[in-house]
Amino acid sequence: MSDTAKSDVRSLDHGTTPLRYARGWHCLGLASTFADGKPHAIHGFGTKLVVWQDSTGKLNVLDGYCRHMGGDLTQGEIKGDNIACPFHDWRWGGDGKCKEIPYARRVPLRARTRRYETAVVNGQLLMWNDPEGSAADHDILPPELPEVLTDKYTPWSWHIKEINGSHCRELIDNVADMAHFYYVHFAFPTSFRNIFEGHTATQFMESKGRPDKSEGGYSGEDSTLKSEATYFGPAYMINWLEVDYKGFVTEVILINCHIPTGPDSFTLQYGISVRKPEGLDEKTVNYIAERYTESFGDGFLQDVAIWENKVAVQNPLLCEEDGPVYQLRRWYEQFYTDVAEIKPEMTDRFEFEVDTTRANEFWHAEVAENLANR
Amino acid sequence: MASFVPTSAETLEEQRLYTQARLIEVACLDCLATVQVKKNSDHQTSIQWTAEAVAACPELCRRSRSGSRDGHRGCPRLLASIDAAVADGVVQIGAQDGY
Repeated sequence: MSDTAKSDVRSLDHGTTPLRYARGWHCLGLASTFADGKPHAIHGFGTKLVVWQDSTGKLNVLDGYCRHMGGDLTQGEIKGDNIACPFHDWRWGGDGKCKEIPYARRVPLRARTRRYETAVVNGQLLMWNDPEGSAADHDILPPELPEVLTDKYTPWSWHIKEINGSHCRELIDNVADMAHFYYVHFAFPTSFRNIFEGHTATQFMESKGRPDKSEGGYSGEDSTLKSEATYFGPAYMINWLEVDYKGFVTEVILINCHIPTGPDSFTLQYGISVRKPEGLDEKTVNYIAERYTESFGDGFLQDVAIWENKVAVQNPLLCEEDGPVYQLRRWYEQFYTDVAEIKPEMTDRFEFEVDTTRANEFWHAEVAENLANR
Repeated sequence: MASFVPTSAETLEEQRLYTQARLIEVACLDCLATVQVKKNSDHQTSIQWTAEAVAACPELCRRSRSGSRDGHRGCPRLLASIDAAVADGVVQIGAQDGY
């Protein structure tokens, strides 16, 4: 084969994955799950973290391994306000200092471990990660959702899923991915826009379910939705959804967040809260909430099947109907860059509207054919 | 330190094509904002702002102060200015090989 022919073949550039974890707020789960007076283990950021609630009600997060001899603090006990190591009973406070070694005359001055700053937002525990060790930036916390956690909304239905063999950027790519809503989630995306600005990245989408499919939260002839999904930082998305099923409109809030666990693995967490439709009894409301939880949960599993089998691509080849994958990744890069080295184009406002006309013409014809072949 | 490092120089050129190629400067007809625009079709639009342009746009400034979610919508005056630039032939509609 000649050299010319060889160079016509496009190669996938797999690139190298980052050696660091993103700077920003990461959600560890519902705050209530950590409030039982016991230590909890969270795998994240290449280590294991210990989470516990002290007597003041404050949730603390420390590196999970004791600085004495490496004992696993997540298997220890809460004693007073401190976490006690199961190996030699060294007691660590939420400020990261060793408070007491019961068998020792004094605590070594250097007995400090890594602590992570926390915040509770929307009933969820968030944790600040920064490889540069900066103080947590509370100005960029995700917003509080008005009336969620009141009796106007169903309580969070919370789910956890471990993903192996993928970097969490695969999950982020979805923000700019119009066409996968047809192929993976079985919906026609009729309108699709993105805005990236500062630490936020938003996807606005309107879609109509495919009549030839019924799996997942987006499919089905009778279902249309308006979706606005914003990442607040690298790992926490709020998705406001208006789901119209046979003319009955329900407001659904979906939280999609993750914790990186290793260079090519992460833990996906998602939670769903449904605005209780007025005039319906509690049983019906709960039934509706469960149905939406199940169907959007299935939607995530549709993505997971793709992620677990695809390869990393630094040089995606795009067509005119695709969303702004390169600009989205440029935005995402800010969280893997030292603050002093963030470039303006990573955070400058960028707007993109996808032309969905041609794609929908083709897709409607394809679906009509699928239905005719039944 | 960079991350997600491409292993091929061609990838860097592709990043440039997709994020910077064919952007045309459009000045807003109503304020001092100047942005860069690309239109691959009638319905597709890319708008690249700078911090200075956002600061010059009264619409975006007003919305960011209000803190409400509709702050995410585009500025209608800028969109009208882009339409005018298309009508004047300053912004040409059409895509190259997918970028």
